[in-house]
Amino acid sequence: MEALARSLMNAVPLLAGVPLWAVTLLLIVAAAVVILVFALTFEGVGSLVLRKVAGDIQARIGPNRVGPNGILQFLADGVKLVLKEDIIPANADRLLFKLAPYFVFVGSFAAFVVVPFGVGLIAADLNIGIYYVMAVTSLVVVGVLLAGWASNNKWALLGGMRAAAQIVSYEIPVGMALIPAVLVAGSLSLQDIVRSQGGLLGIFGWNLFHNPFSFFSFFLYFTAAQAETNQTPFDLPEAESELVSGYNVEYSGIRFGLFFLAEFGDMFIVAALATACFLGGWNVPFFHAATLPWIWGNLLSLGVFLAKAFTMVLIMMWVRWTLPRLRVDQLMRMAWKYLVPLTFINLLGVSLWLLVFKGKGIPAMIASLFG
Amino acid sequence: MTVRTDALPTQEMTINMGPQHPSTHGVLRVILTTDGEVVTRAVPDVGYLHRGLEKIGERVTYAQFMPFTDRLDYLAAMNCNCAWAWAVEKLAKIEVPERAEYLRVIVCELNRISSHLIAFGSYTADMGAFTPFLYAIRERERVNDLFEMLCGNRLTYNYARVGGVSGDAPPGFLEKTKEFLDYFEPKLDEYNNLISYNKIFVHRLANVAVIPAEEAVAYGLTGPNLRGSGVPFDLRKDEPYSVYPKFDFKVCVGTGERGTPGDCFDRYMVRINEMRESVRIVRQAVARIPDGPVMAKVPRLFKPPAGEAYFRSECPRGETGIYLISDGSVNPFRLKIRTGSFVAMNIFEKVTRGLMIADIVAVIGSLDIILPEIDR
Amino acid sequence: MGLKEYMNDIVEAVTTTAKGMRITARYGVDPKEEVTLQYPEERWEIPAGYRGFLNNDVKTCTACTMCVKVCPVDCISLESVRGADKKMVLASYDINIGRCMYCGLCVEVCPPKSLKHTSGYEMASVARGELILHFIAEDAAEIKARVARQVAEAAVKAEAAKAADLSSDLSSEAARAAKEEAAKGEPKK
Repeated sequence: MEALARSLMNAVPLLAGVPLWAVTLLLIVAAAVVILVFALTFEGVGSLVLRKVAGDIQARIGPNRVGPNGILQFLADGVKLVLKEDIIPANADRLLFKLAPYFVFVGSFAAFVVVPFGVGLIAADLNIGIYYVMAVTSLVVVGVLLAGWASNNKWALLGGMRAAAQIVSYEIPVGMALIPAVLVAGSLSLQDIVRSQGGLLGIFGWNLFHNPFSFFSFFLYFTAAQAETNQTPFDLPEAESELVSGYNVEYSGIRFGLFFLAEFGDMFIVAALATACFLGGWNVPFFHAATLPWIWGNLLSLGVFLAKAFTMVLIMMWVRWTLPRLRVDQLMRMAWKYLVPLTFINLLGVSLWLLVFKGKGIPAMIASLFG
Repeated sequence: MTVRTDALPTQEMTINMGPQHPSTHGVLRVILTTDGEVVTRAVPDVGYLHRGLEKIGERVTYAQFMPFTDRLDYLAAMNCNCAWAWAVEKLAKIEVPERAEYLRVIVCELNRISSHLIAFGSYTADMGAFTPFLYAIRERERVNDLFEMLCGNRLTYNYARVGGVSGDAPPGFLEKTKEFLDYFEPKLDEYNNLISYNKIFVHRLANVAVIPAEEAVAYGLTGPNLRGSGVPFDLRKDEPYSVYPKFDFKVCVGTGERGTPGDCFDRYMVRINEMRESVRIVRQAVARIPDGPVMAKVPRLFKPPAGEAYFRSECPRGETGIYLISDGSVNPFRLKIRTGSFVAMNIFEKVTRGLMIADIVAVIGSLDIILPEIDR
Repeated sequence: MGLKEYMNDIVEAVTTTAKGMRITARYGVDPKEEVTLQYPEERWEIPAGYRGFLNNDVKTCTACTMCVKVCPVDCISLESVRGADKKMVLASYDINIGRCMYCGLCVEVCPPKSLKHTSGYEMASVARGELILHFIAEDAAEIKARVARQVAEAAVKAEAAKAADLSSDLSSEAARAAKEEAAKGEPKK
């Protein structure tokens, strides 16, 4: 941010007198606002799309009353959530009860910071990007567990316990499934990982097609990440048919809204990470976005990135409306007996591949055959 | 499946499941004693929907009780209607015209389909897949359209009458029924592909709450719950009534297809397969329905001779038995209704011991209980 | 668990999921599969025998009380008085459609077929009292008073006729009986 502030001060003579820290702070706040607006918009639109997709899949129409074809439904929902009475149960632990939604929301929102939206569109290109995402999304566990405990409701408590067990267990396969991308790029920075998938090979530069192990690791990541973010079929902490609504059963109004937003935020983070690590990120197929003028290059790459990410989100919704829910012991079995060993085998496979073939992927090798 | 709980000393927790809970299919209350996620004891508490139907039956005339039988099992009102009509006819020894019997069989089997559709749909919804539920509801609406055409109502039909049915099939009804059957039969395969054999779904149901055949008989289970345990007992075959002997159909039993015979998956599959058999019965009935009157001569002031009668019929949720004592007056002296769901509730506590909380939902769904039948 | 079963499990999970997702995808992309009826704008065709709200054609109603007797939930209430021409005159005919269960038994027994189901099914009210349909707008007491007056007039006429014709004892008897009937026909609530 400081570098950007400095270049901005050099470019705009008006800012010459302003101290550097002030411009930097201003830029940070601006970036935060932009990302917050993007996150909230996505979460709103995401909820509408989710309901529309549900409608289409279930031979219904879905929301179509608010605005033309129902496109303003999310605004109506948002207004409703804000205006609803905020109820705190009499026997709840008031402080923890109030705190929990913020943990969950911050955990999911903070991850947006390192999402590489475009060539230069990233709030903070941390050199430990993936590590950071894994760390901050873990904050969600604390929030969910707090919500379950503080509600003083047995169903909520069960939901919170399930969530804690589930999220902690699934972090391992999620992390292990992402490491192949890190190995290929040789960096933990998400921008570096995206850049490593560029090149004129088009979609074949993607980590998805790099080698058979990274191909499987994409699907393993996608499955495990759905579980980590409590998406159906792994939505056990919520499980409306068993635990009524799980950890957020006692929440209402905007506090519930924060849980709700965080759920969609998580959805996007999963899709964005899958896109960045395996599907080429913002790389435009057969084209170097970085060679274009700054504004066009960024816009183009942003469009490509969002298109890929939204496709992933759609697939998640599609899965959500197809599959039944697992039982809690089956969920654990799936994590420890299937996903963890498989991701380890994959990791081993990728490492060996990179060692044996000197970091070259199958498409690169085929390309080199033809010169 | 039992889970070892003695390894770690923990404290038990009592949870109230219901009477307001999405998966208890109404106002059933289950008092769960759990050790973490493992249920050590689940005691059903029934009675929230008690309306005193049997007493009402003793206060109204035989004809007047017909609309109340709709409320006995509102998802299979036609079956309850016809059961009442058959019971009173048995008591008063009334000969019913054959066309009326055919119409009754058609509506009973159509209602069996729609009832099993709800059982299937709400079961999948309980398991977390909401989409098949809406598909099931969509098909059920078609059955409701047929019934609306036939008797004017969509849920509480009040179609059967003592001595026949309230009205002949309107023109186009039989054709529309055939159309529905042609539309519906392939949907069953679709359901199987969509959810029945889904790995997660199978894992949730197979080997859960196994009821061995002897136990099912000992506890008096009937209907799909008994057949799910592998006992081929179907009143339509074993104690034939109405015109059922004229039709060719198979009694579906649980075979332990994906687990142990008598598990939740078997009970679920029996219902899916029964829908197919019901389609076969309706096809035959529609093809062979004779012409003629649909109502026998029954005096307006209907007074059956003094005596008693017990009639049992195969309803979607098991045997519905109606025991009637007449003292020769216009209303029954005593009425007792035996329902499948109430009996199925008896075994609930036994089979749910040591299961997970999520399995409790699976067991309730697989027994396909309906609360008005339990509480009456 | 052997390796074969382990692999089988994974393969089965993937294939059955794919199968299911193919079906949901078909429904998702096929707009023809939408079955929703946009209710207030679109309506389904109501079949001929539909059991909607009850309607009594009070002009043809003979006040025979068959419907009242057969109703299992006592939702029909009827008051009538015997008119001058010996026929029953309806004083009030109310149906509590909040209580009615649309079983159609009353329609079946109605001898003059004046009671019928309509195709109406939409009604909302904020008070229970509004759910009672009154088929006779006029006040019951007024009707009774009017009928009593008519009966009395008829009786006076009969009296006059009797005076004119001494041999008609029987008719005066009948007139007295009618008068008594009219006096008895007070509102009984």
